[in-house]
Amino acid sequence: MKFQIEDVTVYFPYDYIYPEQYSYMIELKRALDAKGHCLLEMPTGTGKTIALLSLITSYSLSKPQTPIKLIYCTRTVHEMEKTLAELKLLHNYQIKHLGPQARILAIGLSSRKNLCVNPTVLAAENRDSVDAGCRKLTASWVRAMAAENPNVPTCQFFENYERAASAAVVPPGVYTLQDLRVFGKEKGWCPYFLARHMVQFANVVVYSYQYLLDPKVAGIISKEMQKESVVVFDEAHNIDNVCIEALSVSVRRQTLEGATRNLNRISQEIDRFKATDASRLRAEYNRLVEGLALRGNLPITDNWLSNPALPDDILKEAVPGNIRRAEHFLHVLRRLVQYLRGRLDTENVEKESPVSFVASINSHAGIDQKTLKFCYDRLHSLMLTLEITDTDEFLHIQTICDFATLVGTYGRGFSIIIEPFDERMPHIPDPILQLSCHDASLAIKPVFDRFQSVVITSGTLSPIDLYPRLLNFHPVVSRSFTMSLTRDCICPMVLTRGSDQLPVSTKFDMRSDPGVVRNYGKLLLEMVSVVPDGIVCFFVSYSYMDGIINTWNDSGILKEIMQHKLVFIETQDVVETTLALDNYRRACDCGRGAVFFSVARGKVAEGIDFDRHYGRLVIMFGVPFQYTLSKILLARLEYLRDTFQIKEGDFLTFDALRQAAQCVGRVIRSKADYGMMIFADKRYSRHDKRSKLPSWILSHLRDVNLNLSTDMALHIAKEFLRKMAQPYEKIGGSGRKTLLSEEDLEKMGDGGMDEMLY
Amino acid sequence: MASTHVTKRAKYKTTIKDPGTPGTLRMTFEKILFVPHNPKSAGKLDVEFRYIKGKKHTKEGSNKPPWLNLTNNQNGSFIFEFENYSDLQECRDFVGKVLAKGGEVSEKPTVAYPDEQLSAAEMELRIKLLQEDSELQKLHKQFVLSGVLTETEFWATRKKLLDREASKKTKQRLGFKSAMISDIKPSTDGRTNKVTFNLTPEVILQIFAEKPAVHRAFLSYVPNKMSERTFWTKYFRAEYLHSTKNSIAAAAEAAEDEELAVFLKQDDILASEARKKIRRVDPTLDMEADEGDDYTHLPDHGILREGSKEMTESQNELYKRSLSQDINRHAAVVLEGRAVDVELEDTKAVAEALAQSKQKSSNKGESDGDTSRERLDRLSRMTEIEDLQGPNTLPLAPLCIKDPRDYFDSQQANALRSSGDALGEIEQIKCGLSTQEVYGSLRESISSIKAMGLKEPIVKPEVAHQVFDALTNSISNTKYHIGKNPQESVLDRLPRKTKEELLHHWTSILELLKHFWASYPITTTYLYVKVNRLKDAMSNIYPQLEEIKGSVPSELRHQVSLLVRPMHQALDAAIQHYEASMQKRSAQSGERPNGYV
Repeated sequence: MKFQIEDVTVYFPYDYIYPEQYSYMIELKRALDAKGHCLLEMPTGTGKTIALLSLITSYSLSKPQTPIKLIYCTRTVHEMEKTLAELKLLHNYQIKHLGPQARILAIGLSSRKNLCVNPTVLAAENRDSVDAGCRKLTASWVRAMAAENPNVPTCQFFENYERAASAAVVPPGVYTLQDLRVFGKEKGWCPYFLARHMVQFANVVVYSYQYLLDPKVAGIISKEMQKESVVVFDEAHNIDNVCIEALSVSVRRQTLEGATRNLNRISQEIDRFKATDASRLRAEYNRLVEGLALRGNLPITDNWLSNPALPDDILKEAVPGNIRRAEHFLHVLRRLVQYLRGRLDTENVEKESPVSFVASINSHAGIDQKTLKFCYDRLHSLMLTLEITDTDEFLHIQTICDFATLVGTYGRGFSIIIEPFDERMPHIPDPILQLSCHDASLAIKPVFDRFQSVVITSGTLSPIDLYPRLLNFHPVVSRSFTMSLTRDCICPMVLTRGSDQLPVSTKFDMRSDPGVVRNYGKLLLEMVSVVPDGIVCFFVSYSYMDGIINTWNDSGILKEIMQHKLVFIETQDVVETTLALDNYRRACDCGRGAVFFSVARGKVAEGIDFDRHYGRLVIMFGVPFQYTLSKILLARLEYLRDTFQIKEGDFLTFDALRQAAQCVGRVIRSKADYGMMIFADKRYSRHDKRSKLPSWILSHLRDVNLNLSTDMALHIAKEFLRKMAQPYEKIGGSGRKTLLSEEDLEKMGDGGMDEMLY
Repeated sequence: MASTHVTKRAKYKTTIKDPGTPGTLRMTFEKILFVPHNPKSAGKLDVEFRYIKGKKHTKEGSNKPPWLNLTNNQNGSFIFEFENYSDLQECRDFVGKVLAKGGEVSEKPTVAYPDEQLSAAEMELRIKLLQEDSELQKLHKQFVLSGVLTETEFWATRKKLLDREASKKTKQRLGFKSAMISDIKPSTDGRTNKVTFNLTPEVILQIFAEKPAVHRAFLSYVPNKMSERTFWTKYFRAEYLHSTKNSIAAAAEAAEDEELAVFLKQDDILASEARKKIRRVDPTLDMEADEGDDYTHLPDHGILREGSKEMTESQNELYKRSLSQDINRHAAVVLEGRAVDVELEDTKAVAEALAQSKQKSSNKGESDGDTSRERLDRLSRMTEIEDLQGPNTLPLAPLCIKDPRDYFDSQQANALRSSGDALGEIEQIKCGLSTQEVYGSLRESISSIKAMGLKEPIVKPEVAHQVFDALTNSISNTKYHIGKNPQESVLDRLPRKTKEELLHHWTSILELLKHFWASYPITTTYLYVKVNRLKDAMSNIYPQLEEIKGSVPSELRHQVSLLVRPMHQALDAAIQHYEASMQKRSAQSGERPNGYV
């Protein structure tokens, strides 16, 4: 369908549209018109992504003289694929109605590991080895050598790509990662470098958050994005965590040992070069005297991870004299490693601010702040000079330099915490030194400054006024939409007691109580026998899940559950979890039915949808609070309290509830879908906890469902499922329409829209 | 009395008035043999029992002599006069027994095999079907045993049922049990610390399927390197070590015994399989790909020891296997189903068969290149928003109505709407088409089928959808009009007995009508006889229906009469047709007396 929003003709690839999608588009358009940032919360399962995509592409189609670029950030690669698939649908529709003028180029960008087509490189196990494998074949000095000596292996795909030079372009269209690989294989061009090249010309770029937020990656990839771009962060409820993680580094004993090995290797290389090719080192010295001539003119393949500090904070001046010579720099690094080793040998937990830490480095190791700041750039330059290609071996020394650079650059918003052992395992000495960032606004600030509009959207941004404070920005539009439902297709319940009327909770003193574990097991067992297809269970942590599964296994509850459904479990091994999920979906597809055990805050809870028959019921066992004794968390809470006046308790509850809402929100995809949500913990019945849930869940949480026991929940579940099985009118009953056709929208244009929507 | 024959002195009379020929009567199960004492007299008799249809005898105490009168199927009779009543009784009992037996024999086989030879399996299948479906059994009893329909006629309309049953029987394969193999609990003898595991080939197959490394070890070790018994002993030893969760002890034992180590180590075959499988996984849940983009979690970047992330102990990782892994693996194997279809007897055979089937499937996996296509399909299915789209044209599975009651409900509604005119309409349509047109359209459709082949869904999905919609629509309409509660159908409001009777009558009427209409046009006398039989049976139903109507309470009478009406209509139509054709027939031939009612 196509319709008018003020001066923009919106092309929407479906025959109908939800009213909330329509009002979402209106708000979004206001933000684009005002060239400002916005914050939009819309329940899951109301088609946020397609609404966003179709409004922004239509907006830029309607203003051909000032085209805007869309930078769409997803948290995960599979969400990226999904977004691109939706965009493909939309693009086909637009071409059908507008003809060739609607053609756009949209590409997804990921790392070499997901884009490389060279079988020898791809054989490597992990991402870093793939990156290094690629560099071994494509670095500028390797290729220079290969030009002289044909026995030096190179990458055929990259050579073809280079030879094609400016002819190597991707024709307009929507390209998923898979499409890019196929295209690259067909043409014989390297898809990774092709994609990186095309990012500058594409109308839509879809990539991971980190490509924009993590300065190490953003420095290489997103440097040249134009200001007239709309940046969208989808599923952004965790964006503050991504931001602080991007600027945090930790150092462990293994890191220091590895760094020492790296330093030895570097010093050997230096000696070798001194003997054979001393002029090269001298040339580097001269370059460093002139200023930092590293950036800009490097061949694309030589780029490594970029500076960990944010671009505005990087000093644009010459490297200090005392580390210009390679040997001197090496000495500085050795002293730094030595100092850090000394600090790790502590008996007590220590907490320090970066300023005092830098002062103590200065007094003990004789390294001043400015030198620390330049560590990263100096190392990068040295490695290029030494022509080191196996970068995956040098990650340790790189970590040390990242640490040094960050600690030298930032005085505020960070703290350094040294712990001799993990508090949950005090018998195992495992000292760790962490530089942790507390201020999420630091990493995202350049994005807000650089781009015209930044859209932050998710299904759970409640309370919506907290995010502008955490991220320190001023949205021109900030709204939370409710869901108009054709029927009550979600059924949230709070279960506080088992069938034996004993309270259930994962509160610290109760969680290992056998009665609670048994009641949780009984709850699942009862539900498994009445709910069709898929059931998803979320636990508060891996260790809790492991414990409870083992208990259920010993007591035979697990066996009984297996009589009804297959059981799949998320583990910390990503490959295994992925396969388990795949099998889970198969089991739901074929009608066998399955249960998936997962962890709140885990990878599955973050990004996997359990819509339609893949999830008819979600059980959230407990309240997913963070580990409150964590020193880092305490430091962050303190910072939040001092800087933003956010109370500790409020933040913890907010954080736990957004995770819980995130977990249960994965069951709904559209209004034709339906699902139940059980919050199994007595603490959810308290108002201060419950009220933090997003409004679209709260509005369906009836008072009678606030304090249920297992048998009552079972009864409600049966009733609900029976109700959902009845045929219903899709358009919505009397009065409010929940599905709008083109005509409805036209009518609304004449006025009276508000009464229909709100 | 259990003897196989009776021999008595008796007189044989051809008529009652005949003084009789004295002689010996000998009766076996097969025949009656009368040998006169006087070899010259002409009263010798040799009759087979199957010609005997009935028996009469005189009563003791009446003034008549002890006579036994056996009638044969030509309405002739043989009369024997015995010397005393006890002889008569003995013979009478014997004849009764033989006749009863003969009746059984003659009833069953003659009905079951009138003109076809059934194999035992088919017979068994029919019996099984009857046993499983009580409704079918009722019908069978009502019509076949009462002689309205023959066995063949009854089953001829249910060929499909027989076929499907037969094909299903061969196709259905058993899957794995849902219980985990770690649930195999040993039995102890109670005195010593010795435990005994009972391994069936079934369990072994499951172990092999879930643990390819054990399978490989079995193929390479048994029986060259060790006996099967030692192999399994070692296996369970390893399992025991796992269950103690003492990875240090496991590591120590593994260091000593390299065969044991095979069981304790992580399964390398599984790992490589996983790597292969991950390439075919649905891209919307490929979390492995995320790692590629995650530059925050470079070693030691990001926040390590925060509340949310947890560390694992990495010591002795090699010998650690978590319960979750086992559960995942188990569920995956159960889902995949059993690949092997051999008779489970010999462990060795099981192991080899499994190896073969695996090789086959791996070859197949490599050869088929359209996995990426399937991946894309799944992706697009995951992204579309169903209810925003117009009607969907997914390939539909063929509709199979298990319970005809739903149809029954809807039919009632249709009858309500257009009770009278339906018949006439159909006739009109029929009349409107000329033979030419019919022939033309038939030719057209045949040629189009020849050109394109049958379309995949033979009925267009839209058409099917429309029909289905119409049907279900009227179901809900009826419910709306009559039953307030959506779960309650009209029938549920009737007394249970009435409901069952109604349903039964409906099915039996359907059965009769099916046969009735199928026998037109009448070409043979066989069909003629059959139609007569059916007509009689149908006319018997009328009073029964009236009885039902009368038996229900008055407030429900209207409902019931609504339900009965379509049955009446259907029967009326059949009988009308019958009478019309009878008249025609008699008018044509004129020979038959018009005595049928």
